[in-house]
Amino acid sequence: MGLDVLFDAFVSVFNGGSLTFLIAGVLLGLTFGVIPGLGGTTALALLIPVTYTLQPLDAMYLAGGVMGATSFGGSISAILLNTPGTAPNAATTFDGYPLARQGKAGMAIGASATASAMGGLIGLFTLLLFIPVAREVVLSFGSAEFFLLTILGLAAIAVSVKGKLLRGLLAACIGLLLAFTGANQFTGETRFTGGINYLWDGIPLVPALTGLFAISQMIELALKGGAVADSEAYSEAKNMKITGVSEGVFAVFKHWPVLLRGSLIGTIIGAIPGLGGTVAAFLSYSSTAQTAKDRDTFGKGNIKGVIAPEAANNAKDGGSLIPTVAFGIPGSAETAVFLGILVLHGIEPGPQILLQNEREIYGLIVALTVSAIGASLLGLIFARVLVLITRIDVNIVVPVVVTLSLTGVYVLEGRMADVAVATIIGIVGYLMIRFDYPRLTLVIAFVLGEIAERSYHQVRLISDDNVMGYMLGRPISVILILATIITFFLPAMRKIPWSKLKRSAS
Amino acid sequence: MKRILATGATAIALMTGGAAYADFPMDDNITFVIPYSPGGGFDTIVRQFAPAMERAMGTTVVPENISGAGGARGGQSVHRSDPDGYTIGIYNIPGLTVNEVTGKDQGFKLDEVTWLANLAVETYALAVAADSGINSVEDLCAMGQKPKLSDTGATSTASITTRISFAILGCDIVDVTGYSGSNDAMIAVISGEVNATIKPITSLKKYLGDGGSGDLKLILTLTEDEAISGVASATDIGHPELAKFTLNRVIGGPPGIPADVVSALEAGLRAASDDAAVQSWAKSSGVGLKFMGVDATRAMMDDLSSFYQQYKDMVAVSE
Repeated sequence: MGLDVLFDAFVSVFNGGSLTFLIAGVLLGLTFGVIPGLGGTTALALLIPVTYTLQPLDAMYLAGGVMGATSFGGSISAILLNTPGTAPNAATTFDGYPLARQGKAGMAIGASATASAMGGLIGLFTLLLFIPVAREVVLSFGSAEFFLLTILGLAAIAVSVKGKLLRGLLAACIGLLLAFTGANQFTGETRFTGGINYLWDGIPLVPALTGLFAISQMIELALKGGAVADSEAYSEAKNMKITGVSEGVFAVFKHWPVLLRGSLIGTIIGAIPGLGGTVAAFLSYSSTAQTAKDRDTFGKGNIKGVIAPEAANNAKDGGSLIPTVAFGIPGSAETAVFLGILVLHGIEPGPQILLQNEREIYGLIVALTVSAIGASLLGLIFARVLVLITRIDVNIVVPVVVTLSLTGVYVLEGRMADVAVATIIGIVGYLMIRFDYPRLTLVIAFVLGEIAERSYHQVRLISDDNVMGYMLGRPISVILILATIITFFLPAMRKIPWSKLKRSAS
Repeated sequence: MKRILATGATAIALMTGGAAYADFPMDDNITFVIPYSPGGGFDTIVRQFAPAMERAMGTTVVPENISGAGGARGGQSVHRSDPDGYTIGIYNIPGLTVNEVTGKDQGFKLDEVTWLANLAVETYALAVAADSGINSVEDLCAMGQKPKLSDTGATSTASITTRISFAILGCDIVDVTGYSGSNDAMIAVISGEVNATIKPITSLKKYLGDGGSGDLKLILTLTEDEAISGVASATDIGHPELAKFTLNRVIGGPPGIPADVVSALEAGLRAASDDAAVQSWAKSSGVGLKFMGVDATRAMMDDLSSFYQQYKDMVAVSE
């Protein structure tokens, strides 16, 4: 099966009008990716009415083009403006922006483009390998594994905040508080809503992340830039050079273990519904930073800090199709909208989807592959022009980015309250930058908090309150518990002078 | 001068106001509010009906997604619009009915809505894993421990249906809520995490033996008559009242739409329901189209309200 259909799909992409839809999707994806607040999900949601009149396969090419291109687009704004274009690019800002300030923006973009394309390819290759066992993979991840993955994520973040443990924990508590707002899935009661029924569904992710990263960064830039053209931020931006694009490309191949690990983390996290690219990128970043020999240079402009999240971020697209091919369920917000497009074309997503709609699914895989490579090539070609963004006066950049990102937040659901949320959290985010509180722990706690609570309750009910016993009986759970313990003790283990111990033993 | 302007303005207002009713629906586009994001069941049925309504009524019908607050926000938006027939919406029924019965303030009252039609009714069934050895409700309830069922939110219609149904059956269960979607809830049955689930038959179909993956089997349909051959119905097990639990696709508008506009909309929706494209879509996707006009829909809404009223205490959930 598989391979001939895959080959057919490749041939048909380069025939006739299909390529036009694919390229349109890539351009749209890049644009939506670059603009903070807008992302792949928004682009796809806006496209739904458009695809209505298209052939199902053309709709797939358009959707695939968008999905494959947004995350690389988002890394461009993350590197150049310290403002992630899409939520998963937040981890790319940690080392991407310092690199840009050191005049190595070209190197960072080169690395991001290559890592994105390679990560995307590895993710899709893994998907092809996984298709025969996709069912087993999905069935072996139950509520217990969901819960343990969120705990592993929270543990990884807790130890990654060096020297700011208390501040990190405080930020994480705020993140949990935000995550628990809205209807409790178990009692149906509403919490922390203050009688506002906008909050019934909780605090929405995209407005919150846009506020925390984009708006806060713009406030920071605006205040730094001020009215004086020769301010610190402006001169920093002016000094940026666009050199070393090829250096960045080679860096990815030089650090291939980082690329591989990132892609693998991305694929696995992508395969688990509800976790998504943000968690994948953060986990990939923190695990790379934790295990690197030169971990002290992370956050100060280490190229591996760009490669790791970008590889994961793109590999997750392949991974998120694993539950789709196995059961016809979405592995990410993008695939959810993508399945919505299928429904509109009279295709019923379900466990038989790969058998009944082989052409559409393989069409999407091909579209994602071509898109991941195409977007990166476009990025490399235009990198020099793109970097000019950083040379524009902040007095122009700030209003443009603020307007675009708040418009993006509004467009998603058409709710003015979302814009208010982005603004309020933007101010909180600025205060966090100003007083040196890590925003990272807040985000992770916010993203994982609800899943952690929900899956813990489920495990409790499923196991008749014997949570630990139930988990220890499940192999993947045991692996995750061990991984969590190792994560916690890694920093302490590093302090042990192993070489001395060995010598004294002998 | 001022007076002339004022008179002119009043005249124009009167003219356009009068014309709106007489020429309905030719003055404007019809906005069709969907209280959920694009891609779900409510969104799909509206997007299938919209072009058919356009063909029948000769005007443009624009679907608009206004999601949030479990479908209440879309309902509020319709409720606040002008009662000229140019804004209508699809409602989350019985989700909103249940909210109202439990005293949740959703910003508008269901009995004030101008009900226009019911487009489709989905019926529920109880499914277990195909290889579980459970063949009836008695088997399920006699497992030696409380059977576990899977659901999305505690306030979801399926979860409410599950809790009330098993209370009526006198069988103690654990309803494990919190699954991200009804597919995830069904997969939890397949993976053995829970024992059974109650879901709409159209959603379950893809996991059943006949034409589906064969991972699940049905042991009960919540219908009066036999809906699937060989599967017990609610009447068969002596509880026909369980057939009251359905998922409806109901259309309504703001309070006070004039009667002639209501009739025009009802006719447009009815014609769309008979449209060949809508019929073939319903057939391929397994959606149970069931058209009900204004009066029947209103009666059904009252009926549902009093039905859930008697189970008020079971509907309200607590840990």
